[in-house]
Amino acid sequence: MSKEIIIKEEKGKVESRVWQFLCSVKLAVIIILVLAVACILGTVIVQQLTPEEYVARYGEGLTKFFIATQLTDIFHSYWFALLLLFLCVNLGSCTVKRWRNTVLQIGFILTHVSIILIMIGCFIDLQLGEKGGVNVYEGRSVDYYLTRGDYQKVPLDFEIHLDDFIIEKHPPKYRLIAYVKDKDSQTPLTVKVGKTYNIKDSNYSVTVKDFYPDAEYSQKPINISSDPVNPAIYVQMFGSEEITAEGWLFAKGLNWYNDPDHNMRVEYFWVDNDRDFEKLTTIVEKGSPPKLGLELEDRGIKLDIPIEVGTVFEVEGTEYKVEIKEFALDYMNRTKPLQEQEMSNPAVMVDITGPQGVDSRWSFSKYPDYWDQAHQTKYKDIRVTCNVPDDFTLTSNKIRIIQNQDKEKVIAYIEGGELKKIVNWEVGKRSEVGGSGYQLRIAKFFPSYSVENEVIKKSDTVNNPALRIEIAGPRGTVDDWILGQTPAKWYPDNNFALLYEKFGMEIKDFKSKLRVVDNGKTVLSKTIEVNDPLKYDGYVFYQSSYDPEGGLYSGLQVAKNPGIIVVYTGFIILCVGVVFIFYVKPFLRRKSKKKER
Amino acid sequence: MDFMLNITFYAFIFGVIAYVIREVSRSVATRYIALGVMSGALILNTTLVLMRWFEAGHAPMSDKFESFVFFAWSIALVYIIMELVTIFIVRIHSSRLGIIGALQCALSALFLYFAINTDSTIKELPPALQSNWLVTHVINYFISYAALSISFSAAIIYLIYRAIFHGKTQEVVMSKDNSNLGKDMTFDKLAYISVSIGFPFLTIGLITGSIWAKGAWGTYWGWDPKEIWSLINWLIYLTYLHLPLILPKTKISKSFRPVLLSIILLVAFPTVIFTFMGLHKLPTAGTSDHIYAD
Ligand code: HEM
Repeated sequence: MSKEIIIKEEKGKVESRVWQFLCSVKLAVIIILVLAVACILGTVIVQQLTPEEYVARYGEGLTKFFIATQLTDIFHSYWFALLLLFLCVNLGSCTVKRWRNTVLQIGFILTHVSIILIMIGCFIDLQLGEKGGVNVYEGRSVDYYLTRGDYQKVPLDFEIHLDDFIIEKHPPKYRLIAYVKDKDSQTPLTVKVGKTYNIKDSNYSVTVKDFYPDAEYSQKPINISSDPVNPAIYVQMFGSEEITAEGWLFAKGLNWYNDPDHNMRVEYFWVDNDRDFEKLTTIVEKGSPPKLGLELEDRGIKLDIPIEVGTVFEVEGTEYKVEIKEFALDYMNRTKPLQEQEMSNPAVMVDITGPQGVDSRWSFSKYPDYWDQAHQTKYKDIRVTCNVPDDFTLTSNKIRIIQNQDKEKVIAYIEGGELKKIVNWEVGKRSEVGGSGYQLRIAKFFPSYSVENEVIKKSDTVNNPALRIEIAGPRGTVDDWILGQTPAKWYPDNNFALLYEKFGMEIKDFKSKLRVVDNGKTVLSKTIEVNDPLKYDGYVFYQSSYDPEGGLYSGLQVAKNPGIIVVYTGFIILCVGVVFIFYVKPFLRRKSKKKER
Repeated sequence: MDFMLNITFYAFIFGVIAYVIREVSRSVATRYIALGVMSGALILNTTLVLMRWFEAGHAPMSDKFESFVFFAWSIALVYIIMELVTIFIVRIHSSRLGIIGALQCALSALFLYFAINTDSTIKELPPALQSNWLVTHVINYFISYAALSISFSAAIIYLIYRAIFHGKTQEVVMSKDNSNLGKDMTFDKLAYISVSIGFPFLTIGLITGSIWAKGAWGTYWGWDPKEIWSLINWLIYLTYLHLPLILPKTKISKSFRPVLLSIILLVAFPTVIFTFMGLHKLPTAGTSDHIYAD
């Protein structure tokens, strides 16, 4: 008997010891600290990787340990859940044990109960909640979503239509960055016209001299010297009053212009000796015609035949007969009348008839070997070339603009192959050209033509901005434009650079115009955006992403959180509780102390 | 802006000097001078925050630069409120805050120094940050961090004084001596008060952050590194607050208890700062929605 009583007493003692331990702050502190350590581990060990990834990162041994202790997914592990359960039990029992219906206890009860509530809410969500996502294309609808993690299709009892998807963008923003190479330092500079910045720890300074919100490069012709390095004239041709054609002619480059409508060619010559000047102003050479070259190396035959379509001839000492079938100045536009073709790719087509039949070939003056290399030719021993002299022209009327080193300037008018008239010209003046009915004006003369990249303002809205910058440094001052999105601008010593680059968020917001259709009826419409979801039938649809390519679909996050009311109630009670404990209780205490006194 | 930033920085440096002088002379005049200097710095800092708000068109706490300036501001604000309360409302221990003001000025100056060395270009807010919950969340956190920084400073000062006056402490505390030394020995209590001021804000910050995440991402808790570390901070201070309940029941000697609590605070605040600005160093940072590339 007595033994039994002792055992019972001991049991009671043990029970009360367990109870006491469950209620104790000691247990609370232990749990809290273990939780903290678990949390730290959860951010130090990368979570939810595959076993292979763990082996690669931490090696075999540690991986085995991590997997055995569920350290690979701490926050979903059994021991972590157990820890939270203990926390709740501890909180619950201590609250029950210390429950006093006094005002001063309010905070203690509220905080502790609230944490239990939050945990219960989270547990409900974990068990009954749903979470997933779905992409909807503009103009279409979905009646399902995919679960998070394993992408299972879950049907919805209603449809979500995406009527419109809007991506709002910020106007582009640019920033100016100064880079010092030997210090490897980057300094952002605010763009303020007229301001000079001394770059920290260096002897460079940058001055912003001008700003265009929207700029582009344009090429501006300039004269860089008075020596005739690259003489060029800007010619304007007038019909009766209006300018019919105008443009630059270069003595050392493209020096002619063909006006096929009027059977007229304009040429420009700059000569540095009197003989050439003399020749150009007096002699009209007929201009050599294009020629067809035929070569049979084995037999020592070499022929030059003026190209005239329809010419047929037999090659002496062979059994070949050649017919010129076609001639073009511009092969690509060979169907056009010859006069209208620019002389960009002259070519001739011949038929060679021999013992093995007809062999048709094109021969290009600029690419003499092209055809033979690209095609199977029947008669390999015969080579065909097309020779068109550079000054070949079909037009028999010419205007020659000539000048020399002695600043003599004349225009020679040639009609039908004969020199008709010579007049003097001067920059800026209009000259009548013989009986041609033409008037010419040489608007500009640049002895040394060159182009300069000029930055011009395109509009006043920020789009592709440009800055005029002056950089002062050890090699003097450099003044230039830099445009957004162009490569960095380096200072001549290659140690300092400025970069004008786009930065910041481009997407301002994205919104989906959603419509909920239930049983064929539209029951709800809402435009959702990040931080403003749509709620229907216990589900909440969040704007979460967008199609990064075309903005065609909207990414929705779908969640059902039946426990959220409990969680949020817990949140509110917790806030009230902590404020009570630390802000209200001390004053109540103080008051009661004063009263006592 | 840059100029204002530098001026404010030096104002806080000046505040450090003023508070050191005050601590040495312990006269009423120097006390008000030091408070005045720091208030001046706070006004400058307030101007900075407002200017930035006006310029950026959104609450100035969305990027590193803005949070540094705002943090410096909160540190100064919370300290000054605390000093005003001790002068005019609580009216105990005229020198209780003592050298803390110098440390708080130094902290504000430190964060302004970070701000000076941070890219200050105004950035557009990504859609997730365009929320009023963000503003509530951040303000709560910074006020809390500011209060917790006081507990950190107080713990440091407490431990230093303990080390210096090692032998005497026991008698001094026991004798309820009203000398300066006796007052200085109460820094552990100041630390506790600061934590209890900051902890509610820390809790509300955690909760509002969770509500904001729910609105933006659809989950109120996603075990994101930033969320986890906010929880860790909260748990550490929770431990600190519960420890005094069990310490009397343990074998730890009475005189060592405040030392233990101070050491916890010494660890806790750097953890807070790590959560605030060091998380990108974590191996898991890549998985976070909160941590933007440094
Ligand atoms: C916001 C959170 C919390 C606050 C503000 C808080 C506050 C408090 C306060 C003020 C007391 C003393 C009650 C009294 O004066 O009698 C207390 C006691 C206690 N707290 Fe908390 N607490 C919180 C969370 C927790 C948590 C998470 C646990 C976890 C297990 C916990 C466990 C305990 C225990 C076991 C006691 C028992 C006290 C005793 O037996 O004397 N508390 N808490």
